[in-house]
Amino acid sequence: MPKVVLIVDDEEDVRESVRMILSANGFTVDTAVDGDDCLRKVNQIKPDLVLLDIMMPGKPVSEIIKEIPNTKIAFMSVVRISDARKRGLCSQPNIVDFFQKPFNVSDLVDRVEFILNG
Amino acid sequence: MDAKKFSLKSLIFSKINRKLSFLVISALLAPALGIYLFYYILSSSFPSGVFSEQAELLRTTAVFIIIFISIINAGVIGLFVTRSISKPIKELHKATLELEKGNYDTKLDIKTGDEFSELGKAFNLTSKALGRLEQERREIDNAKTEFLSITSHELRSPMTPMKAQLQMLQEGYFGKLNKKQKVSLEIITRNSDRLDNIIVDFLEISRIEAARLKFNFKETDISDIIDETTKFMEGFAKEKNINLVVNIDKIPKIEVDSDRLSQVLRNLIGNAIKFSEENSKIEIDAKLQNDFILFSVRDYGCGLNSENQIRVFEPFYQVENSSRRKHGGTGLGLAICRGIVEAQKGKIWVESKEGKGSKFFFTIPLEPVRNIEPIKVLFSSKKLIERKICEEFKSILGPLGYSEFNDLKSKNSLGKDDLLNYIDSLTDLHIIPLEKGMNFKNKIGGIFGEEKTVINNENDSMCDFEDEVLVRN
Repeated sequence: MPKVVLIVDDEEDVRESVRMILSANGFTVDTAVDGDDCLRKVNQIKPDLVLLDIMMPGKPVSEIIKEIPNTKIAFMSVVRISDARKRGLCSQPNIVDFFQKPFNVSDLVDRVEFILNG
Repeated sequence: MDAKKFSLKSLIFSKINRKLSFLVISALLAPALGIYLFYYILSSSFPSGVFSEQAELLRTTAVFIIIFISIINAGVIGLFVTRSISKPIKELHKATLELEKGNYDTKLDIKTGDEFSELGKAFNLTSKALGRLEQERREIDNAKTEFLSITSHELRSPMTPMKAQLQMLQEGYFGKLNKKQKVSLEIITRNSDRLDNIIVDFLEISRIEAARLKFNFKETDISDIIDETTKFMEGFAKEKNINLVVNIDKIPKIEVDSDRLSQVLRNLIGNAIKFSEENSKIEIDAKLQNDFILFSVRDYGCGLNSENQIRVFEPFYQVENSSRRKHGGTGLGLAICRGIVEAQKGKIWVESKEGKGSKFFFTIPLEPVRNIEPIKVLFSSKKLIERKICEEFKSILGPLGYSEFNDLKSKNSLGKDDLLNYIDSLTDLHIIPLEKGMNFKNKIGGIFGEEKTVINNENDSMCDFEDEVLVRN
């Protein structure tokens, strides 16, 4: 059974690019355009991992992650964030990684593989 | 300016002159008229001839009394007039000094009813206008920083899908590539990386300018940071077979943001590698100096002339136009270093001789500065330094200073070495005493960043290069 990844980003080209990369590597991929869409899709498709952009219009990320405490989440951010703040952001146990945009394609694949397949 | 306002006619009929003339004339004429009238009544009340001798005496006495009273009167009035003029001038002077300090709320209230009142009103209007301009300047400055920050974010967002698609193409996600396609993609990738680096540097500069630079202080051993950074840079140094020599004095553990310190060091070492010849060496030193740690990165490359020594910390300033293409980089590295160092109240400067290499110094405080203030890194450091030098010239050499400064400027001799040589020539020719010359030199050294080295350890800085000259000779 292929693992399911949900990509949440308000930018279509980012969603599409990540979808292309991960589905080419054997993952089942779905996308959401904002926080509310994300919560709906999480309940619907029960993803193994949510790739969540931390800066999106609408519902703040801090509220989204509270509502899905049992789903693995990896953050994505175009804003550079200091290691100290990263540690703060990743303090909740279901936050498993932090991807700095622009990301490296093979690095992204490796890390997602590691999170989902060990 | 309206020339008519300064004509002789307007001067004579000015309110102040009218007031003064009235005072002086009445001061001199009133006693004269009074006493002469008294004498006239007295002498005419006696028949002529009977009293003529006494009358003659009386007239002479009257004239002397008139002169005496007039002199006293003139003195008193003079005093009064002087005070009435000097008081508003003093007030004006005080207010101008306030204005100079940037206190644009200064208001003058002169109620003399003459030109001084008008001057006071004009002063108030001017200070109000200056205040308004200052306000506007601040708003524009903030808008610029904000614009830079927003634009950089907006520019960075498209980089993510662009780079992802490029890498997918290169890694064969969409099929095998032929040689020409590969070369084409390499060029696109290289340039998108360059663009991304510039955007990242822009963001960094907008953070420095808006005092949004974050420092994450942690007690750290400085030598660990230097060793790690050097190890990281050794990869680049190997390509040109350059030896990195590290020399660290005993330094206590301090609270420091190791990422930021490493960023500055990486930048300086990276530059040193870029501008070094193959098979040479780069020396990285750190030592304790009063309340600071003094770092230095010394290369034996092409060096910088005095103009470049000043301008090298300006954004996008590169020594030669071809240098960017040859050496890569965004041209913002040293400006960012300056921002990071100055945000920590440290100093950064360079000493160099053309053809002999350069030594970059910077200091960081033993006690971290937590209250970060905005640093203007986009301003031309050259103009700022020139203004400071000019001020020192004026304060030490007096009115002559300005023309001497301009003379040196026109000869393009405002580098640190040129200025120190110039001061030496002044003391040698006994134009200024030795002590004053030393003070002058310290001030100039301070402008170029290293007051702490010059004052405490004179043999430390430039002699590095002098020794070498001697040895080579």
